[in-house]
Amino acid sequence: MTVNEKKFIESALLSDIRVDGRRPFDYRNLTIRFGSEDGSAEVQLGQTQVIGFVTGQLSQPYRDRPNEGSFAIYTEFSPMADPSFEPGRPGETAIELGRIVDRGLRESRAVDTESLCVIAGKLVWSIRIDLHIIDNGGNLVDAANIAALAALSTFRRPECTLGGEDGQELIVHPPDEREPLSLILHHFPVAVTFGFIGKENTVVIDPTHYEEAVMGGSMTATLNTNGDVCAIQKAGGDAVSQTVIMQCLRIASVKAGDITSKIKDAVESYNTQRSLRKIKRHNPDQQGSSDVAKRHMERLTVGSDQSGIASQFNEHDKTNKRNSTLKGFSGGPASWDPYSKGVDGDALRTSLASRVAPVDKQKEESSQVNPETKSNPKSSETNSIALTHEVGLERKQSKSLKDAVKPKHKRRNKSNAS
Amino acid sequence: MEAKPSNLVDQLVVPGDVILDLSNMANQTLKLSGGLRQDGDSICVMKAGKLRFMKPNKYWVESSQKRYVPSAGDNVLGVVVDTKPENFLVDIKGPALAFLPVLSFEGGTRRNIPKFEVGTLLYVSVVSANPGMNPELSCMDVNGKAAEYGVLKEEGYMFESSTGLARSLLSSPPHPVLEGLGKKLSFEIAVGINGRFWVNALQSSTVILVGNAIQKSESLSLVQQKIYLEKLLKSIHSRGCKTSDQ
Repeated sequence: MTVNEKKFIESALLSDIRVDGRRPFDYRNLTIRFGSEDGSAEVQLGQTQVIGFVTGQLSQPYRDRPNEGSFAIYTEFSPMADPSFEPGRPGETAIELGRIVDRGLRESRAVDTESLCVIAGKLVWSIRIDLHIIDNGGNLVDAANIAALAALSTFRRPECTLGGEDGQELIVHPPDEREPLSLILHHFPVAVTFGFIGKENTVVIDPTHYEEAVMGGSMTATLNTNGDVCAIQKAGGDAVSQTVIMQCLRIASVKAGDITSKIKDAVESYNTQRSLRKIKRHNPDQQGSSDVAKRHMERLTVGSDQSGIASQFNEHDKTNKRNSTLKGFSGGPASWDPYSKGVDGDALRTSLASRVAPVDKQKEESSQVNPETKSNPKSSETNSIALTHEVGLERKQSKSLKDAVKPKHKRRNKSNAS
Repeated sequence: MEAKPSNLVDQLVVPGDVILDLSNMANQTLKLSGGLRQDGDSICVMKAGKLRFMKPNKYWVESSQKRYVPSAGDNVLGVVVDTKPENFLVDIKGPALAFLPVLSFEGGTRRNIPKFEVGTLLYVSVVSANPGMNPELSCMDVNGKAAEYGVLKEEGYMFESSTGLARSLLSSPPHPVLEGLGKKLSFEIAVGINGRFWVNALQSSTVILVGNAIQKSESLSLVQQKIYLEKLLKSIHSRGCKTSDQ
């Protein structure tokens, strides 16, 4: 930072212009893009780039809130973004950014946590929001907040119902069976950051990297379009008079309206694109859903058996690679298999090992061995999307299904005997 | 005896391209500069960029980066980072901080060592830049005169650019946007080949306009630059009264 830069930024602000040609209360260009998966958003605010990624997992609720799901925010400041970012544990600014975004969403109850409850006291959805800073061009808080909101708006969780034989089992429907549900967001808390530069309390909105190095203090106000102030953060820095703060809040509410409409437009266009790409659904038979449910319950309860399963897979891998054809698909265990009687845990595991095709079995394997990877629906989603038409074909043409089953059935007897 | 220059002169080349086959040329001395390497009988390209040729026999590859590799003889813009008893430590956007000896000023003696505070902007010349060592700078030319080197005024603003843009700003024929703006507005500019340029004018708006226009014109082709310049000048002209009064 040169002496010239500091002086110039302050003197230019006296004539109401900023170094990149903006006026003091102009935001930089905001672009919101979405990834191929639901719940991922990339926000570019001028030079600043942030990626937000939302994932969900079933877990136990907190003792004092048995009816509510939870969400947590994790920030990662990539060393690529700025020379001063170090890899490893998040530094002060990273933690502060995470706290501001978290407070905006949590205190204002923007995310409806009660709708995340599945079985009160036992199972709830816990949502994880990851914010990755890719490029630091100044004003990371605003960009990260927008990324979090955009990602939350497009995130979908699988639908869960109670069913099974005794009506007490949890069925998590994969996305090809039932459309996944989006989160309920009551409102959009938008963070607007102000920088205070110079002695005369000149205020700029959305400071750039250079302005941040020069400013004496900053304030972030999180508001929504209803005019509610969700959070304010002013950590140290120059003292600012009350009138200036009130003026900032007024400006922030206008900006929050702009940004909210931009986010909503982007989410709208993403949703229309998504519905155009929708996979055709068909009703699964009763057997199918209960076995799918059992598979998911297996995943939830399997703990110490992980290593056992992994070794089993390695053995069967070799036999499978020799015998399997491309028609073989992953997906459900014995649901469509007319030769299966009842399914118990052990038989389920071995049948999974022998039945599944090598490509998808690795996905199954990884998803079984690491139950905490992103989410159950995600792995089943990748499985199902990868072999969508094959699943459809297999289910519709039952005759060819039986033909596909026979050789595998023989293999299962062999492996059970050995 | 001059053979015709390579076909690829003034064209974009990528690493691996062979620009000359030496088996056809005998008894010739070629000077190869940055980005080229002799591999037996062929001259290959090591860096992506534009191949350049200067008569009678100089070849080099010109490329543009954000980082600067210090080399002797360059005029650069440096920022003072620290002062030591013997040297000033100056950041010239290279891999290592450069040393500016406290006596390398015109008429510099132990008694009148200049006092630079951290963040002072200097226009300096690179005296030596050996790989692995900190580069050495000087605020004098070869004759020991100051010759425009030294502290830049405390006004104005320093903009960052790529090395390619800095070279084109210093080239002749001059950069079209720079020339066009110079005809309409009055400003002073100091360009460092390390990818920094400093602009100063009476009004901040002029400085901001010139700096941003130059930065934005880098990604435009010549034709687009001319169009951009015209649009810019029109908008200045329409605001003409405002800029000249303040």
